Amino acid sequence: MDTFANFLGGTAALFGDPVGVLIFFGGVVGGMLFGAIPGVSMLTLAAILLPFTAHLKPEHGIMLFSVIYCTGVYGGAITAILFNIPGAPENAPTAFDGYPMTQKGKAGKAVGAAVMCSAIGGTISCIVMMIATAPIADWAISAFGPPEIFALVFFGLAVAASVGAKTFWKGWLSIMAGLMIAVVGLDPVGGMERYDFNMPYLLAGIHFIPTILGFFAVSEIFVQAEKKATGSYKAPKISVDFPTFRELWAHKIAVVRSIIIGFFCGILPGIGATLAAFMGYNEAVRWSKDKLEFGKGKLEGVISSETANNAATGAAMIPLLALGLPGGALTAMMVGVFQMHDMEPGPLVFINSPDLVWVVFAAMFFANLSILFVGFLETKTIINLLRIPFQFLAPMILLLATVGAYAVRGLVIDVVVMFIAGVAGYFLRRSGYSVAGIVLGLILGKIGEQTFAQAMQMLHFEFSGFLQRPIALGLLIAGFLTIGGSIYGAFFRKGPKAATMS
Amino acid sequence: MTLRKYLISAAVAAGFTLATTGSAIAACATDDLPAEMAGPDGFPARALTMVVPYGPAGGSGQVAQAMAQAVSDLTGVSINRDHKPGGSGTVGMTAYMATPADGYTVLEHIDDAASAHALDSARPNPAEALIPLVTSQITFSQIYIRTNEDRFTDWASFVDWVKAQDGKATIANVSKEGSMERVTMKFITDATGMQIQQISFDKGAPRYGALAGGQVDALFEQPGDVRKFLDADKFKPILTILKEAPEAFADVPSLTDAGLDFEPLFRFRGFYVKADAPEERVKWLQWAFQKAYCQPSYQKYNESKFMTLIESFRDTDGSKELITSTIAQYRDVYKEMGLEVR
Repeated sequence: MDTFANFLGGTAALFGDPVGVLIFFGGVVGGMLFGAIPGVSMLTLAAILLPFTAHLKPEHGIMLFSVIYCTGVYGGAITAILFNIPGAPENAPTAFDGYPMTQKGKAGKAVGAAVMCSAIGGTISCIVMMIATAPIADWAISAFGPPEIFALVFFGLAVAASVGAKTFWKGWLSIMAGLMIAVVGLDPVGGMERYDFNMPYLLAGIHFIPTILGFFAVSEIFVQAEKKATGSYKAPKISVDFPTFRELWAHKIAVVRSIIIGFFCGILPGIGATLAAFMGYNEAVRWSKDKLEFGKGKLEGVISSETANNAATGAAMIPLLALGLPGGALTAMMVGVFQMHDMEPGPLVFINSPDLVWVVFAAMFFANLSILFVGFLETKTIINLLRIPFQFLAPMILLLATVGAYAVRGLVIDVVVMFIAGVAGYFLRRSGYSVAGIVLGLILGKIGEQTFAQAMQMLHFEFSGFLQRPIALGLLIAGFLTIGGSIYGAFFRKGPKAATMS
Repeated sequence: MTLRKYLISAAVAAGFTLATTGSAIAACATDDLPAEMAGPDGFPARALTMVVPYGPAGGSGQVAQAMAQAVSDLTGVSINRDHKPGGSGTVGMTAYMATPADGYTVLEHIDDAASAHALDSARPNPAEALIPLVTSQITFSQIYIRTNEDRFTDWASFVDWVKAQDGKATIANVSKEGSMERVTMKFITDATGMQIQQISFDKGAPRYGALAGGQVDALFEQPGDVRKFLDADKFKPILTILKEAPEAFADVPSLTDAGLDFEPLFRFRGFYVKADAPEERVKWLQWAFQKAYCQPSYQKYNESKFMTLIESFRDTDGSKELITSTIAQYRDVYKEMGLEVR
């Protein structure tokens, strides 16, 4: 009852202040726009706005960032679905099935599902955040250390490899290629230099944003250009048919599963929405009877990914507000906003500034709801970009991707990496390898390597230490069972060998 | 040859000792600089760029933002921050060294630049390849435990407990090879005879979460970075890695109190311009950045990060001295540790 009263109080404070309302809607629209443009993500907007928040009231500054967070995570889904350009890494799995749906003339359904599920995932996550921030935060940091996070990543990779490509071996080789790319640069624990070939820029490793842009957007341009040259190109049909209630209801289990996965990944400091989206997608594939259909334009793929990444947003606020531990880059910037106002996120915020906390909670709740309305309006217009002929659209996408790759760190090498990934992606896709698997290997590989090294240090370099940590053990067993299942499916079961994700 | 002999750097030690006791009564360091200074030939005619070799949310990103704001408030000149994270500052440094030496691009960097040069002389020496405009943050480290910890409650009981664990005790830090944290931990373990497993977390949140969640037994950190946990009474310091404890941590044993005889290493952050930039422009930048250090907004920021407990300010000469002595300190320690010094 207290929670509801506090929520009403926060809502009244939010909408009773015209400046607050203005900032709220500015954040909603700004997050969606910046989230939708590759490279210039919500983080770019947040970095631009950070100094200006010093001139805002503390509750307005924090609220603005939290609203940008909610809508920015959703915004990247649109370009992922329409053009195979994930606006941010957490939207990459959305492109796996969203873009094939666009090619099949079902862009409206994919975008509609992304809108609905982002709103549902974000709103429910927000409600849980309001009810149980403190106990969940305490549980998460005590139950999940590096061994558990490594085991989670291992499980994720095991699932991804089993669904990633045309054959069992190509799936694993794709994942391994991603893992190999992930080890370029300084090792995350000892700082040893690896595969840098005396190039200082490689010490920072291969950044996953240009890699994603290359493997997804650039390679897709090459594929479509080849079709255009050979006369087999077909422009995607324009459709603004949103999914029906019945279609969405049919995926209710996927939604609930992704909410749980997304929330769970979101509350782990340093993990966040990207792992949430990949895990949500992977689990959808694992539990589906139609594994073969994933990657070819299955609505459930979009639903699972978008529900999970938005479910991570509310969850990521839990360690931030309750413990002062940001879960990702944007929540880390929120710490800066707090500090500009002589405040620190953490347990004292609830005691010293309860009004601020509840304005932020209310704003996040309504920001997720607003995805429904603004998202529908936005997509009704943006889908029409597909009407642009390929010969004009392709250079625009290449330009956007190039700007996006360069904008990450302002380094030309990132643009070079993007084009190398684009060319490699083109040939790998033709050969039946999974570019999604490579990207997944790259992203999870960085997290996995670091947490594995930390886990081994914590467990005094004894593998048996994993056996004494029930959650880690459970996840490792699940991973090994998944690998065993995929080996059985690939070599001993009659019928199709594995799902295809082109 | 004792390690201590290698480590003694009289200038640094004396400077920090004096600063520890003197900062509370001193006026701000650059109050005597002129309130205004005209740039040479209209310099700067456009916004400056500040290359920051770390992300916007960490300690470097925050100090860069605070200093850029203070310089802009003082001079009316905008400063665009260009974050180039990666490779422990190497990427940003390399990118900066490729920029024109026209004074329009400045660099933020931390003591990692000095330790990187100490390990590999091919890396730029910040005191020679660059001109330090100002060092605006110098801080010390502490060892923290959870406030509700019941296995040990202070430094003495912690050392006893760690020794009884036979190498199984853990401490979270940034234990990259040759880092300030790793070197300092070597000093401590050598001096106490305790064995402790260092768990390396390169980002703050998981590092602090590891202590708060009980994943590790202790944490090595600077006080400004964990202030919120101290204010919330979640963490408590059990050792201050300084010869003398500052007033704010008077009840926490210092190195001297704990009987640990080594020269402490410091975390410092400052701002630089290329050594071959036009001299008159460099003079204006030195004035702007040193004067900005005393802007109320910057002082308030430093205070919030516990950066006023010891004197954080060094001008160009003071910064060069600090960097040079730090490089010498690290180089000797690295040799002592058996690392390959190039």
